[in-house]
Amino acid sequence: MSDVLLQAENVGIRFGGLQALEALNLTVRDKELCCIIGPNGAGKSTFLNVLTGTLRPTSGSVRFLGHDIAGLPLHRIARLGIARKFQIPSVFPSLSVEDNLKVARWGAPSPVRPVGELLELVALTNRAATLAGELAHGQKQWLEIGMALAIEPRLLLLDEPTAGMTPQETLATAQMLLRLKGEFSIVAVEHDIRFVRALNCETLVLHQGRRLRSGPFHDIETDEMVRDVYLGRR
Amino acid sequence: MIARDRNWLLIFAVCVALAVVYPFVAGGYQLTVIRDALIFGLFAASLDFFWGRTGILCFGHAAFFGIGGYIMALVTLNDAIPFASLLGIMGAVAGAAFVAAIIGYFLFFGGIRGSYFTIVTLAMGVICQQAAVSWSSVTGGDSGLIGIPPIAFDVGGLHVDLSQDLSSYILVAATVAVTVLALWSVSRGRWGTVLTAIQDNEVRAAALGHNAPLRLLVTFVLSAAIAGLAGALYVCMAGLVAPDLSGLLLSTEVIVWVAVGGRGTLLGPVLGAIFIQRAQQTISSFNPSLWPLLLGCVFVIIVFVLPDGILSIYARLKSLFKGRRRAQ
Repeated sequence: MSDVLLQAENVGIRFGGLQALEALNLTVRDKELCCIIGPNGAGKSTFLNVLTGTLRPTSGSVRFLGHDIAGLPLHRIARLGIARKFQIPSVFPSLSVEDNLKVARWGAPSPVRPVGELLELVALTNRAATLAGELAHGQKQWLEIGMALAIEPRLLLLDEPTAGMTPQETLATAQMLLRLKGEFSIVAVEHDIRFVRALNCETLVLHQGRRLRSGPFHDIETDEMVRDVYLGRR
Repeated sequence: MIARDRNWLLIFAVCVALAVVYPFVAGGYQLTVIRDALIFGLFAASLDFFWGRTGILCFGHAAFFGIGGYIMALVTLNDAIPFASLLGIMGAVAGAAFVAAIIGYFLFFGGIRGSYFTIVTLAMGVICQQAAVSWSSVTGGDSGLIGIPPIAFDVGGLHVDLSQDLSSYILVAATVAVTVLALWSVSRGRWGTVLTAIQDNEVRAAALGHNAPLRLLVTFVLSAAIAGLAGALYVCMAGLVAPDLSGLLLSTEVIVWVAVGGRGTLLGPVLGAIFIQRAQQTISSFNPSLWPLLLGCVFVIIVFVLPDGILSIYARLKSLFKGRRRAQ
Protein backbone atom coordinates (compact mmCIF):
# COMPACT_ATOMS: atom_id res chain seq x y z
CA MET A 1 0.00 0.00 0.00
CA SER A 2 2.95 2.29 0.72
CA ASP A 3 3.80 2.79 -2.94
CA VAL A 4 0.43 4.39 -3.71
CA LEU A 5 1.06 7.94 -4.83
CA LEU A 6 -2.29 9.23 -5.89
CA GLN A 7 -5.61 7.82 -4.92
CA ALA A 8 -8.93 9.05 -6.24
CA GLU A 9 -11.88 7.40 -4.54
CA ASN A 10 -15.45 7.50 -5.72
CA VAL A 11 -14.94 10.93 -7.31
CA GLY A 12 -18.02 12.70 -8.62
CA ILE A 13 -18.57 16.26 -9.72
CA ARG A 14 -21.70 18.18 -10.62
CA PHE A 15 -21.84 21.41 -12.56
CA GLY A 16 -25.35 22.64 -11.82
CA GLY A 17 -27.63 19.99 -13.30
CA LEU A 18 -24.86 18.20 -15.17
CA GLN A 19 -23.20 15.19 -13.58
CA ALA A 20 -19.79 15.63 -15.23
CA LEU A 21 -18.07 12.80 -13.38
CA GLU A 22 -19.54 9.92 -11.45
CA ALA A 23 -18.01 7.33 -9.10
CA LEU A 24 -14.51 7.33 -10.57
CA ASN A 25 -11.64 5.50 -8.93
CA LEU A 26 -8.01 5.71 -9.88
CA THR A 27 -4.92 4.53 -8.08
CA VAL A 28 -1.53 5.62 -9.35
CA ARG A 29 1.43 3.79 -7.86
CA ASP A 30 4.92 5.17 -7.63
CA LYS A 31 6.72 5.24 -11.02
CA GLU A 32 3.67 3.91 -12.83
CA LEU A 33 2.52 5.10 -16.25
CA CYS A 34 -1.16 5.21 -17.05
CA CYS A 35 -3.48 6.76 -19.59
CA ILE A 36 -6.98 8.12 -19.44
CA ILE A 37 -8.79 8.01 -22.76
CA GLY A 38 -12.26 8.67 -23.98
CA PRO A 39 -14.15 10.52 -26.68
CA ASN A 40 -14.65 14.29 -26.58
CA GLY A 41 -16.73 15.41 -23.64
CA ALA A 42 -16.12 12.22 -21.69
CA GLY A 43 -14.81 14.21 -18.74
CA LYS A 44 -11.09 13.54 -19.20
CA SER A 45 -9.91 17.10 -18.60
CA THR A 46 -12.37 17.57 -15.75
CA PHE A 47 -11.05 14.42 -14.10
CA LEU A 48 -7.48 15.69 -14.55
CA ASN A 49 -8.48 19.02 -12.97
CA VAL A 50 -9.82 17.09 -10.00
CA LEU A 51 -6.62 15.03 -9.77
CA THR A 52 -4.49 18.20 -9.67
CA GLY A 53 -6.66 19.78 -7.02
CA THR A 54 -7.82 22.66 -9.25
CA LEU A 55 -11.40 21.43 -9.10
CA ARG A 56 -12.93 20.25 -5.85
CA PRO A 57 -15.03 17.13 -6.35
CA THR A 58 -18.62 17.30 -5.10
CA SER A 59 -18.25 13.76 -3.78
CA GLY A 60 -15.36 11.44 -3.06
CA SER A 61 -11.77 12.40 -2.37
CA VAL A 62 -8.36 12.75 -3.98
CA ARG A 63 -5.32 12.03 -1.85
CA PHE A 64 -1.71 12.54 -2.83
CA LEU A 65 0.72 10.75 -0.51
CA GLY A 66 -2.09 10.70 2.01
CA HIS A 67 -2.83 14.45 1.86
CA ASP A 68 -6.17 15.75 0.68
CA ILE A 69 -5.19 18.19 -2.08
CA ALA A 70 -8.59 19.58 -3.09
CA GLY A 71 -8.62 23.39 -3.01
CA LEU A 72 -4.93 23.90 -2.13
CA PRO A 73 -3.30 26.90 -3.87
CA LEU A 74 -1.62 25.95 -7.16
CA HIS A 75 1.94 26.64 -6.04
CA ARG A 76 1.50 24.44 -2.95
CA ILE A 77 0.29 21.55 -5.09
CA ALA A 78 3.31 22.02 -7.35
CA ARG A 79 5.64 21.91 -4.38
CA LEU A 80 4.13 18.64 -3.19
CA GLY A 81 5.56 17.16 -6.38
CA ILE A 82 2.70 17.30 -8.87
CA ALA A 83 3.63 18.73 -12.25
CA ARG A 84 1.09 19.45 -14.89
CA LYS A 85 1.25 20.03 -18.61
CA PHE A 86 -1.73 22.01 -19.80
CA GLN A 87 -3.78 21.13 -22.86
CA ILE A 88 -3.07 24.43 -24.62
CA PRO A 89 0.70 24.87 -24.69
CA SER A 90 1.29 27.46 -22.02
CA VAL A 91 4.93 28.38 -22.10
CA PHE A 92 6.11 31.92 -21.32
CA PRO A 93 6.29 33.51 -24.81
CA SER A 94 8.39 36.55 -23.90
CA LEU A 95 11.13 34.48 -22.25
CA SER A 96 13.76 32.40 -24.04
CA VAL A 97 13.51 28.61 -23.98
CA GLU A 98 16.34 28.54 -21.47
CA ASP A 99 14.67 31.11 -19.20
CA ASN A 100 11.42 29.15 -19.37
CA LEU A 101 13.23 26.13 -17.95
CA LYS A 102 15.02 28.29 -15.38
CA VAL A 103 11.74 29.74 -14.13
CA ALA A 104 10.45 26.19 -13.80
CA ARG A 105 13.53 25.09 -11.83
CA TRP A 106 13.33 28.08 -9.51
CA GLY A 107 9.82 27.09 -8.54
CA ALA A 108 10.93 23.64 -7.45
CA PRO A 109 11.76 22.92 -3.80
CA SER A 110 14.90 20.98 -4.79
CA PRO A 111 15.71 20.97 -8.51
CA VAL A 112 18.14 18.27 -9.60
CA ARG A 113 18.48 18.27 -13.37
CA PRO A 114 20.55 21.13 -14.77
CA VAL A 115 19.00 23.22 -17.55
CA GLY A 116 21.35 21.68 -20.13
CA GLU A 117 20.09 18.20 -19.40
CA LEU A 118 16.47 19.33 -19.59
CA LEU A 119 17.12 20.94 -22.97
CA GLU A 120 18.57 17.66 -24.18
CA LEU A 121 15.68 15.58 -22.85
CA VAL A 122 13.13 17.59 -24.81
CA ALA A 123 15.36 17.97 -27.89
CA LEU A 124 15.61 21.77 -27.73
CA THR A 125 19.34 22.25 -27.07
CA ASN A 126 19.94 24.21 -30.26
CA ARG A 127 16.96 26.47 -29.60
CA ALA A 128 17.91 27.52 -26.05
CA ALA A 129 18.13 31.24 -26.86
CA THR A 130 14.95 31.34 -28.98
CA LEU A 131 11.95 33.14 -27.53
CA ALA A 132 9.44 30.47 -26.55
CA GLY A 133 6.71 32.37 -28.38
CA GLU A 134 8.55 31.74 -31.66
CA LEU A 135 8.74 27.94 -31.32
CA ALA A 136 6.75 25.61 -33.52
CA HIS A 137 3.67 24.12 -31.90
CA GLY A 138 5.19 20.70 -31.25
CA GLN A 139 8.32 22.22 -29.76
CA LYS A 140 6.21 24.30 -27.40
CA GLN A 141 4.57 21.11 -26.18
CA TRP A 142 7.99 19.58 -25.58
CA LEU A 143 9.23 22.68 -23.81
CA GLU A 144 6.24 22.39 -21.53
CA ILE A 145 7.08 18.79 -20.76
CA GLY A 146 10.63 19.98 -20.02
CA MET A 147 9.27 22.61 -17.63
CA ALA A 148 7.17 19.99 -15.88
CA LEU A 149 10.29 17.81 -15.52
CA ALA A 150 12.28 20.71 -14.10
CA ILE A 151 10.31 20.74 -10.88
CA GLU A 152 11.39 17.10 -10.29
CA PRO A 153 7.85 15.82 -9.89
CA ARG A 154 6.71 12.66 -8.16
CA LEU A 155 3.75 12.71 -10.50
CA LEU A 156 3.46 14.21 -13.97
CA LEU A 157 -0.02 14.87 -15.32
CA LEU A 158 -0.26 15.47 -19.04
CA ASP A 159 -3.37 16.92 -20.61
CA GLU A 160 -3.43 15.88 -24.27
CA PRO A 161 0.34 16.13 -24.71
CA THR A 162 0.13 15.42 -28.44
CA ALA A 163 -2.74 17.75 -29.37
CA GLY A 164 -1.98 19.33 -32.73
CA MET A 165 1.18 17.28 -33.31
CA THR A 166 2.17 15.53 -36.51
CA PRO A 167 2.23 11.68 -36.34
CA GLN A 168 6.06 11.75 -36.16
CA GLU A 169 6.03 14.26 -33.30
CA THR A 170 3.39 12.16 -31.52
CA LEU A 171 5.61 9.08 -31.67
CA ALA A 172 8.66 11.08 -30.58
CA THR A 173 6.65 12.33 -27.59
CA ALA A 174 5.62 8.79 -26.68
CA GLN A 175 9.27 7.71 -26.81
CA MET A 176 10.23 10.70 -24.65
CA LEU A 177 7.73 9.56 -22.02
CA LEU A 178 8.80 5.92 -22.21
CA ARG A 179 12.38 7.04 -21.51
CA LEU A 180 11.16 8.92 -18.43
CA LYS A 181 9.02 6.02 -17.22
CA GLY A 182 10.52 4.57 -14.06
CA GLU A 183 11.67 7.96 -12.76
CA PHE A 184 8.25 9.12 -11.62
CA SER A 185 4.58 8.40 -12.18
CA ILE A 186 2.92 9.70 -15.31
CA VAL A 187 -0.79 10.10 -16.02
CA ALA A 188 -1.60 11.12 -19.58
CA VAL A 189 -5.02 12.16 -20.83
CA GLU A 190 -5.28 11.55 -24.56
CA HIS A 191 -7.65 10.83 -27.32
CA ASP A 192 -5.00 10.03 -29.91
CA ILE A 193 -5.15 6.24 -29.91
CA ARG A 194 -1.79 5.86 -31.72
CA PHE A 195 -0.07 7.62 -28.85
CA VAL A 196 -1.69 5.42 -26.23
CA ARG A 197 -0.83 2.34 -28.28
CA ALA A 198 2.81 3.44 -28.37
CA LEU A 199 2.81 3.83 -24.58
CA ASN A 200 1.03 0.50 -24.09
CA CYS A 201 0.19 0.95 -20.41
CA GLU A 202 -2.64 0.70 -17.91
CA THR A 203 -5.58 2.55 -19.41
CA LEU A 204 -8.81 3.96 -18.04
CA VAL A 205 -11.57 4.57 -20.57
CA LEU A 206 -14.09 7.25 -19.69
CA HIS A 207 -17.45 7.69 -21.32
CA GLN A 208 -19.98 10.31 -20.28
CA GLY A 209 -18.20 10.90 -17.00
CA ARG A 210 -18.10 7.24 -15.97
CA ARG A 211 -15.61 4.43 -16.09
CA LEU A 212 -16.29 2.36 -19.17
CA ARG A 213 -13.34 -0.03 -18.95
CA SER A 214 -9.94 -0.17 -17.34
CA GLY A 215 -6.98 -2.47 -17.79
CA PRO A 216 -3.86 -2.98 -19.91
CA PHE A 217 -4.10 -1.28 -23.29
CA HIS A 218 -4.13 -4.41 -25.43
CA ASP A 219 -7.23 -5.63 -23.57
CA ILE A 220 -8.88 -2.26 -24.00
CA GLU A 221 -8.06 -2.07 -27.67
CA THR A 222 -9.79 -5.34 -28.45
CA ASP A 223 -12.82 -4.52 -26.33
CA GLU A 224 -15.98 -4.41 -28.40
CA MET A 225 -17.68 -1.80 -26.19
CA VAL A 226 -14.72 0.61 -26.36
CA ARG A 227 -14.65 0.31 -30.13
CA ASP A 228 -18.34 1.12 -30.28
CA VAL A 229 -17.92 4.24 -28.16
CA TYR A 230 -14.94 5.47 -30.12
CA LEU A 231 -16.68 4.91 -33.43
CA GLY A 232 -19.74 6.67 -32.12
CA ARG A 233 -22.11 3.72 -32.30
CA ARG A 234 -23.36 4.34 -28.77
CA MET B 1 26.90 39.52 -20.96
CA ILE B 2 24.02 40.00 -23.37
CA ALA B 3 24.20 42.94 -25.79
CA ARG B 4 21.04 44.43 -24.30
CA ASP B 5 22.55 44.58 -20.82
CA ARG B 6 25.75 46.09 -22.19
CA ASN B 7 23.82 48.81 -23.99
CA TRP B 8 21.86 49.61 -20.87
CA LEU B 9 25.02 49.93 -18.76
CA LEU B 10 26.58 52.10 -21.46
CA ILE B 11 23.64 54.51 -21.48
CA PHE B 12 23.61 54.48 -17.69
CA ALA B 13 27.32 55.37 -17.59
CA VAL B 14 26.77 58.22 -20.06
CA CYS B 15 23.92 59.58 -17.92
CA VAL B 16 26.02 59.38 -14.75
CA ALA B 17 28.89 61.16 -16.51
CA LEU B 18 26.53 63.92 -17.66
CA ALA B 19 25.17 64.26 -14.12
CA VAL B 20 28.74 64.60 -12.79
CA VAL B 21 29.74 67.21 -15.37
CA TYR B 22 26.53 69.24 -15.12
CA PRO B 23 27.33 71.20 -11.91
CA PHE B 24 30.50 72.54 -13.58
CA VAL B 25 28.59 74.11 -16.44
CA ALA B 26 25.26 75.01 -14.84
CA GLY B 27 24.34 77.76 -12.44
CA GLY B 28 22.63 77.33 -9.08
CA TYR B 29 19.11 77.81 -10.36
CA GLN B 30 19.58 75.35 -13.24
CA LEU B 31 20.94 72.83 -10.75
CA THR B 32 17.82 73.05 -8.62
CA VAL B 33 15.61 72.66 -11.69
CA ILE B 34 17.36 69.47 -12.77
CA ARG B 35 17.45 68.28 -9.14
CA ASP B 36 13.67 68.54 -8.82
CA ALA B 37 13.26 66.87 -12.19
CA LEU B 38 15.50 64.03 -11.02
CA ILE B 39 13.32 63.49 -7.95
CA PHE B 40 10.33 63.05 -10.23
CA GLY B 41 12.57 60.80 -12.33
CA LEU B 42 13.08 58.59 -9.27
CA PHE B 43 9.32 58.56 -8.82
CA ALA B 44 8.88 57.53 -12.47
CA ALA B 45 11.47 54.75 -12.05
CA SER B 46 9.54 53.44 -9.04
CA LEU B 47 6.36 53.16 -11.10
CA ASP B 48 8.27 51.55 -13.95
CA PHE B 49 9.71 48.93 -11.64
CA PHE B 50 6.18 47.73 -10.97
CA TRP B 51 4.37 48.54 -14.23
CA GLY B 52 7.24 47.58 -16.52
CA ARG B 53 7.89 44.25 -14.86
CA THR B 54 4.38 43.07 -14.05
CA GLY B 55 2.40 44.73 -16.83
CA ILE B 56 -0.09 45.90 -14.19
CA LEU B 57 -0.72 49.64 -14.23
CA CYS B 58 -1.04 51.50 -10.95
CA PHE B 59 -3.05 54.67 -11.59
CA GLY B 60 -2.62 56.06 -8.10
CA HIS B 61 1.11 56.00 -7.62
CA ALA B 62 1.12 59.64 -6.52
CA ALA B 63 -0.64 58.45 -3.35
CA PHE B 64 2.65 56.87 -2.22
CA PHE B 65 4.60 59.95 -3.27
CA GLY B 66 2.20 62.08 -1.23
CA ILE B 67 2.22 59.77 1.79
CA GLY B 68 6.02 59.92 1.80
CA GLY B 69 5.92 63.68 1.48
CA TYR B 70 3.41 64.24 4.29
CA ILE B 71 5.19 61.88 6.70
CA MET B 72 8.51 63.62 5.99
CA ALA B 73 6.88 67.03 6.55
CA LEU B 74 5.17 66.03 9.80
CA VAL B 75 8.33 64.45 11.23
CA THR B 76 10.72 67.28 10.32
CA LEU B 77 8.30 70.03 11.41
CA ASN B 78 8.04 68.48 14.87
CA ASP B 79 10.83 69.93 17.00
CA ALA B 80 10.54 67.16 19.60
CA ILE B 81 11.81 64.48 17.22
CA PRO B 82 15.61 63.98 17.12
CA PHE B 83 17.40 63.04 13.88
CA ALA B 84 14.32 64.36 12.11
CA SER B 85 15.68 64.12 8.55
CA LEU B 86 16.79 60.51 8.82
CA LEU B 87 13.75 59.39 10.79
CA GLY B 88 11.53 61.31 8.39
CA ILE B 89 12.94 59.53 5.36
CA MET B 90 12.67 56.14 7.06
CA GLY B 91 9.12 56.94 8.12
CA ALA B 92 8.19 58.09 4.62
CA VAL B 93 9.54 54.89 3.05
CA ALA B 94 7.94 52.67 5.70
CA GLY B 95 4.61 54.52 5.58
CA ALA B 96 4.26 54.24 1.80
CA ALA B 97 5.31 50.59 1.94
CA PHE B 98 2.81 49.87 4.70
CA VAL B 99 -0.15 51.36 2.82
CA ALA B 100 0.91 49.50 -0.35
CA ALA B 101 1.20 46.26 1.61
CA ILE B 102 -2.33 46.53 2.97
CA ILE B 103 -3.97 47.55 -0.30
CA GLY B 104 -1.80 45.18 -2.33
CA TYR B 105 -2.52 42.23 -0.05
CA PHE B 106 -6.25 42.40 -0.65
CA LEU B 107 -5.89 43.08 -4.38
CA PHE B 108 -3.25 40.51 -5.29
CA PHE B 109 -4.45 37.68 -3.07
CA GLY B 110 -8.03 38.50 -4.05
CA GLY B 111 -7.11 37.86 -7.68
CA ILE B 112 -7.57 41.49 -8.82
CA ARG B 113 -5.47 42.14 -11.92
CA GLY B 114 -5.39 44.18 -15.09
CA SER B 115 -7.83 47.07 -15.54
CA TYR B 116 -9.58 46.31 -12.25
CA PHE B 117 -6.33 46.88 -10.40
CA THR B 118 -5.86 50.14 -12.30
CA ILE B 119 -9.35 51.33 -11.33
CA VAL B 120 -8.96 50.45 -7.66
CA THR B 121 -5.59 52.24 -7.45
CA LEU B 122 -7.12 55.23 -9.23
CA ALA B 123 -9.71 55.41 -6.46
CA MET B 124 -6.98 54.99 -3.86
CA GLY B 125 -5.19 58.06 -5.23
CA VAL B 126 -8.37 60.12 -5.12
CA ILE B 127 -9.05 59.01 -1.53
CA CYS B 128 -5.52 59.99 -0.48
CA GLN B 129 -5.88 63.43 -1.99
CA GLN B 130 -9.27 63.89 -0.32
CA ALA B 131 -7.83 62.80 3.00
CA ALA B 132 -5.02 65.33 2.63
CA VAL B 133 -7.55 68.10 1.93
CA SER B 134 -10.08 67.17 4.64
CA TRP B 135 -7.84 66.22 7.55
CA SER B 136 -6.72 69.79 7.88
CA SER B 137 -5.71 69.69 11.56
CA VAL B 138 -2.81 67.42 10.58
CA THR B 139 -2.22 68.04 6.90
CA GLY B 140 -2.95 71.73 6.73
CA GLY B 141 -5.85 71.14 4.34
CA ASP B 142 -5.84 72.72 0.92
CA SER B 143 -2.85 74.95 1.56
CA GLY B 144 -0.70 72.11 2.88
CA LEU B 145 2.30 72.52 5.16
CA ILE B 146 5.07 75.02 4.62
CA GLY B 147 8.50 75.69 6.09
CA ILE B 148 9.82 72.15 5.85
CA PRO B 149 13.53 72.32 6.66
CA PRO B 150 16.16 70.97 4.26
CA ILE B 151 17.80 67.64 4.99
CA ALA B 152 20.43 67.96 7.74
CA PHE B 153 21.98 65.41 10.06
CA ASP B 154 25.07 64.67 12.11
CA VAL B 155 27.30 61.73 11.28
CA GLY B 156 29.96 61.06 13.94
CA GLY B 157 30.41 64.69 14.91
CA LEU B 158 30.29 65.84 11.29
CA HIS B 159 27.37 68.11 10.50
CA VAL B 160 25.91 67.44 7.09
CA ASP B 161 23.70 70.20 5.78
CA LEU B 162 22.06 69.68 2.42
CA SER B 163 20.41 73.04 2.08
CA GLN B 164 22.84 74.26 -0.58
CA ASP B 165 22.05 73.87 -4.28
CA LEU B 166 25.11 71.77 -5.04
CA SER B 167 24.96 69.49 -2.01
CA SER B 168 21.26 68.78 -2.48
CA TYR B 169 21.85 68.12 -6.19
CA ILE B 170 24.59 65.63 -5.37
CA LEU B 171 22.39 63.84 -2.81
CA VAL B 172 19.48 63.54 -5.24
CA ALA B 173 21.61 62.52 -8.24
CA ALA B 174 23.45 59.89 -6.21
CA THR B 175 20.20 58.52 -4.76
CA VAL B 176 18.64 58.26 -8.22
CA ALA B 177 21.73 56.60 -9.73
CA VAL B 178 22.06 54.03 -6.93
CA THR B 179 18.33 53.25 -6.85
CA VAL B 180 18.00 52.87 -10.61
CA LEU B 181 21.06 50.62 -10.76
CA ALA B 182 19.73 48.51 -7.88
CA LEU B 183 16.26 48.20 -9.43
CA TRP B 184 17.83 47.26 -12.75
CA SER B 185 19.95 44.48 -11.28
CA VAL B 186 16.91 43.12 -9.44
CA SER B 187 14.71 43.21 -12.52
CA ARG B 188 17.14 41.56 -14.92
CA GLY B 189 17.97 38.73 -12.53
CA ARG B 190 15.90 35.89 -11.22
CA TRP B 191 13.27 38.14 -9.63
CA GLY B 192 12.55 39.97 -12.87
CA THR B 193 12.54 36.82 -15.00
CA VAL B 194 9.92 35.20 -12.77
CA LEU B 195 7.88 38.43 -12.87
CA THR B 196 7.97 38.33 -16.67
CA ALA B 197 6.80 34.73 -16.51
CA ILE B 198 3.94 35.75 -14.20
CA GLN B 199 3.03 38.54 -16.60
CA ASP B 200 2.96 36.05 -19.48
CA ASN B 201 0.90 33.43 -17.69
CA GLU B 202 0.26 33.64 -13.99
CA VAL B 203 -1.54 30.30 -13.65
CA ARG B 204 1.32 28.49 -15.35
CA ALA B 205 3.88 30.16 -13.10
CA ALA B 206 1.88 29.11 -10.06
CA ALA B 207 1.63 25.54 -11.37
CA LEU B 208 5.43 25.52 -11.42
CA GLY B 209 5.56 26.32 -7.73
CA HIS B 210 5.84 30.11 -7.76
CA ASN B 211 3.78 32.10 -5.26
CA ALA B 212 2.67 34.68 -7.79
CA PRO B 213 0.49 36.93 -5.56
CA LEU B 214 3.27 37.21 -2.97
CA ARG B 215 5.84 38.10 -5.60
CA LEU B 216 3.57 40.76 -7.11
CA LEU B 217 2.86 42.14 -3.64
CA VAL B 218 6.55 42.44 -2.72
CA THR B 219 7.27 44.18 -6.03
CA PHE B 220 4.39 46.59 -5.45
CA VAL B 221 5.53 47.36 -1.89
CA LEU B 222 9.10 47.98 -3.05
CA SER B 223 7.84 50.26 -5.81
CA ALA B 224 5.68 52.22 -3.33
CA ALA B 225 8.58 52.52 -0.87
CA ILE B 226 10.73 54.18 -3.52
CA ALA B 227 7.85 56.47 -4.49
CA GLY B 228 7.64 57.41 -0.78
CA LEU B 229 11.37 58.14 -0.75
CA ALA B 230 10.98 60.40 -3.78
CA GLY B 231 8.11 62.22 -2.06
CA ALA B 232 10.19 62.74 1.09
CA LEU B 233 13.12 64.12 -0.90
CA TYR B 234 10.83 66.41 -2.86
CA VAL B 235 9.16 68.12 0.10
CA CYS B 236 12.56 68.84 1.72
CA MET B 237 13.78 70.48 -1.46
CA ALA B 238 10.58 72.37 -2.17
CA GLY B 239 10.03 73.28 1.48
CA LEU B 240 6.30 72.61 1.26
CA VAL B 241 3.79 69.80 0.87
CA ALA B 242 0.32 70.10 -0.62
CA PRO B 243 -2.57 67.75 -1.52
CA ASP B 244 -1.62 67.97 -5.22
CA LEU B 245 1.39 65.76 -4.49
CA SER B 246 -0.90 62.78 -4.03
CA GLY B 247 -3.35 63.83 -6.70
CA LEU B 248 -4.69 62.40 -9.90
CA LEU B 249 -2.78 64.85 -12.11
CA LEU B 250 0.59 63.72 -10.77
CA SER B 251 -0.47 60.07 -11.07
CA THR B 252 -1.28 60.70 -14.73
CA GLU B 253 1.91 62.64 -15.38
CA VAL B 254 4.11 59.90 -13.96
CA ILE B 255 2.43 57.40 -16.29
CA VAL B 256 3.20 59.69 -19.24
CA TRP B 257 6.86 60.01 -18.14
CA VAL B 258 7.19 56.24 -18.01
CA ALA B 259 5.39 55.75 -21.31
CA VAL B 260 7.51 58.39 -23.05
CA GLY B 261 10.78 57.14 -21.58
CA GLY B 262 10.02 53.52 -22.32
CA ARG B 263 8.26 51.11 -20.01
CA GLY B 264 10.50 48.44 -18.51
CA THR B 265 13.78 50.30 -19.08
CA LEU B 266 13.98 52.07 -15.67
CA LEU B 267 16.44 54.60 -17.07
CA GLY B 268 14.05 55.77 -19.80
CA PRO B 269 11.38 56.95 -17.33
CA VAL B 270 13.99 59.09 -15.50
CA LEU B 271 14.95 60.71 -18.79
CA GLY B 272 11.29 60.98 -19.76
CA ALA B 273 10.52 62.84 -16.53
CA ILE B 274 13.38 65.31 -17.05
CA PHE B 275 12.59 65.82 -20.71
CA ILE B 276 8.85 66.35 -20.27
CA GLN B 277 9.19 68.70 -17.32
CA ARG B 278 11.67 70.74 -19.32
CA ALA B 279 9.20 70.87 -22.20
CA GLN B 280 6.40 71.76 -19.80
CA GLN B 281 8.30 74.77 -18.46
CA THR B 282 9.15 76.02 -21.93
CA ILE B 283 5.67 75.60 -23.33
CA SER B 284 3.87 76.94 -20.28
CA SER B 285 5.91 80.13 -20.58
CA PHE B 286 4.14 80.82 -23.90
CA ASN B 287 0.70 79.89 -22.75
CA PRO B 288 -0.14 77.91 -19.60
CA SER B 289 -3.27 76.33 -21.06
CA LEU B 290 -1.36 74.87 -24.00
CA TRP B 291 0.46 72.29 -21.89
CA PRO B 292 -2.31 69.81 -20.97
CA LEU B 293 -3.38 69.75 -24.62
CA LEU B 294 0.11 69.00 -25.85
CA LEU B 295 0.72 66.45 -23.10
CA GLY B 296 -2.32 64.50 -24.24
CA CYS B 297 -1.22 64.62 -27.89
CA VAL B 298 2.32 63.50 -27.03
CA PHE B 299 0.91 60.60 -25.05
CA VAL B 300 -1.29 59.44 -27.94
CA ILE B 301 1.58 59.75 -30.43
CA ILE B 302 3.94 57.79 -28.18
CA VAL B 303 1.42 55.01 -27.73
CA PHE B 304 0.88 54.68 -31.47
CA VAL B 305 4.30 55.47 -32.94
CA LEU B 306 6.84 54.63 -30.25
CA PRO B 307 5.18 52.21 -27.84
CA ASP B 308 8.57 51.34 -26.34
CA GLY B 309 9.46 54.95 -25.59
CA ILE B 310 12.12 57.41 -26.81
CA LEU B 311 15.02 55.10 -26.00
CA SER B 312 13.69 52.73 -28.66
CA ILE B 313 14.35 55.22 -31.48
CA TYR B 314 17.93 53.97 -31.71
CA ALA B 315 16.90 50.30 -31.87
CA ARG B 316 14.24 51.17 -34.45
CA LEU B 317 16.69 53.06 -36.67
CA LYS B 318 19.14 50.19 -36.42
CA SER B 319 16.60 47.61 -37.49
CA LEU B 320 15.45 49.97 -40.25
CA PHE B 321 18.98 50.26 -41.66
CA LYS B 322 19.54 46.53 -41.29
CA GLY B 323 16.36 45.95 -43.25
CA ARG B 324 17.55 48.39 -45.97
CA ARG B 325 20.89 46.70 -46.24
CA ARG B 326 19.31 43.31 -46.55
CA ALA B 327 16.95 44.65 -49.21
CA GLN B 328 19.78 46.01 -51.35
